[in-house]
Amino acid sequence: MIYIDQELCTGCRSCADVCPVDAIVGEFGQPQSVDQELCVMCGQCVQVCSSYASILDEGIAPREQKLAERAMLPSVKEPLFAAYNQGKALKVKEALADPDKYVMVQVAPAVRVAIAEEFGMPLGSLAPGQMAAALRRLGFDRIYSTDFTADLTIMEEGHELIERVTKGGTLPMFTSCCPAWVKYLEQTYPELLPHLSSCKSPQQMAGALFKTYGAKVDKVDPAKVYSVSVMPCTCKDFEANRPEMKASGHQDVDVVITTRELAHLIKDAGIDFASLTEEEYDRPLGLYTGAGTIFGATGGVMEAALRTAYEVITKKPIPELDLEYVRGGEGVRYATVQVGDLELKVCVVSGLKHVAPVLEQVKAGTADFHFMEVMTCPVGCVSGGGQPKALLPKDRICARTARTASTYKHDGELRHRKSHENPDIKKIYKEFLGKPLGEQSHHLLHTTYTPRRRDA
Amino acid sequence: MTASTFVLADPTKCIGCQSCEIACAVAHLGTSITTAGEMEAPFQPRLRVVRTSQVTMPIQCRHCEDAPCANACPVGAIVRQDGVVLVKEEKCIGCKTCVLACPFGAMDVVPALDKGQRVRQPGLKVQTDEGAAPKERYVAHKCDLCIGRPGGPACVEVCLARALVLVKRGTMARSVKSRRTASAMQIARSGVQPAGANR
Repeated sequence: MIYIDQELCTGCRSCADVCPVDAIVGEFGQPQSVDQELCVMCGQCVQVCSSYASILDEGIAPREQKLAERAMLPSVKEPLFAAYNQGKALKVKEALADPDKYVMVQVAPAVRVAIAEEFGMPLGSLAPGQMAAALRRLGFDRIYSTDFTADLTIMEEGHELIERVTKGGTLPMFTSCCPAWVKYLEQTYPELLPHLSSCKSPQQMAGALFKTYGAKVDKVDPAKVYSVSVMPCTCKDFEANRPEMKASGHQDVDVVITTRELAHLIKDAGIDFASLTEEEYDRPLGLYTGAGTIFGATGGVMEAALRTAYEVITKKPIPELDLEYVRGGEGVRYATVQVGDLELKVCVVSGLKHVAPVLEQVKAGTADFHFMEVMTCPVGCVSGGGQPKALLPKDRICARTARTASTYKHDGELRHRKSHENPDIKKIYKEFLGKPLGEQSHHLLHTTYTPRRRDA
Repeated sequence: MTASTFVLADPTKCIGCQSCEIACAVAHLGTSITTAGEMEAPFQPRLRVVRTSQVTMPIQCRHCEDAPCANACPVGAIVRQDGVVLVKEEKCIGCKTCVLACPFGAMDVVPALDKGQRVRQPGLKVQTDEGAAPKERYVAHKCDLCIGRPGGPACVEVCLARALVLVKRGTMARSVKSRRTASAMQIARSGVQPAGANR
């Protein structure tokens, strides 16, 4: 949940400028508040807020009190700004100290291109190995990666798209991995919910697998598994707490923290991040391909899906892996891809405020594409609300560019770059899931949506 | 003319976002910091945004020609260098006379920092129940116009509302000249004659 500290807000409404759903309420010059029903928790307001608690201001609540209100670790030294998201790092610290809990962690693609920024490294530094090492030092029992379930999402969503196109399902199909976008559609365009892919987000797929397949692999009681997720996103906690996200028979994801909160935990434990030697993610749920890691950038889900869909449909290797035409910045992009006999038309929306005109076309039946990716944050998850907060506007822009570049660099350097070629994806289908869109997949990896339009 | 430059805000444009304060604090850290998480000490800006029901704008040093702060300083810690009124921190004893002398409220006394860390005094101790503890050093703190910063004052650069302006000597001279010209024209047009001119 996103809040604005009434004591600190100066009412400049810079947050209202970036809010994609006009959820910031208040008079100019007066403290603002968040309309929680409208808010999609993208956290862009948290990223831009520049009203902070000054040591020179008298009469405001003490810092210790503010840290407690925000559920932040008492050791956090950074300045406190008016707009903030409720923290969960204390819960993670507690779980790690509990010998009865078997703590599994997943980290999202965009976290590895940003976390190092919190430790004095340049904007967009790529640090997957150092992050894995830091997570191990923190005491997590299994270090997994959401990039693995991003690959799995591609297997499920790719097949869902092929099925909808070939068997006449609801088209165009929309991606469903961005929880802020899903909430927006549920509350603003509930009539379009059948267009959403039924696939859970990679986070929730991982959650469902940790306490089933993951527990089985490690021979632990699923009830003892505590599932932690590290996300660049301030909305993923909302997604994890949706009542339907209990496919494993337990709460699939117990707690979600942001990139910034992981940095707080690392500092709190006295770990010198910059001096860590790179380590590997655990297998099987931590092995990932380039296709999985580009989920962090706008157009990434589309590109990953196309790499797989092309090869599944044509049974031939895709001639070019770097699909530059779906990459880009904030706004709406269209592309047509020849996939065998099929002329597949796609749309990529980056920045939720750009989606309404496209949805109006879908409603009117004039939208000319089969598949649409929507990411709420300006250039996708790398610019998420839970990412390191640049202090100056120019650095905010530099950070986006640098993190995106690192994401594609990582993709280019990984051994496998197509989700269907991930050896552990092949293995999980063979050993546990059966086939994409099969019975087990349907139960664990797919979901339904809830119209939540507010009464006028 | 010896007039120095200074930064002035336009209260009709300022939205009170405090970006100028952050940019100022970051520009004076002496280390390169980009994210909030790297910032381990409180922001210590050299300008402060004033917010009342009538006005919102930052206030900072005017680099006075006859700087009351410098004239009041008992240890000569405030000097003028390249047209900038500067605090020589190493000389400052934290006596706060300059804070009282400044008619604009542009002066603060803040904890001294060295590479983001607070500085302890060699001698002065604070008596506490647990014994004597080292006393942190405090120094006078004011706008230095980002002297030596290639882009000029960081506050002016960061302001998205373009509320902050660097008022330069030339700008002032031109403005004064054009206002004088306008006054002359107005007097000429109005036909007003100085009293007793026809005597």
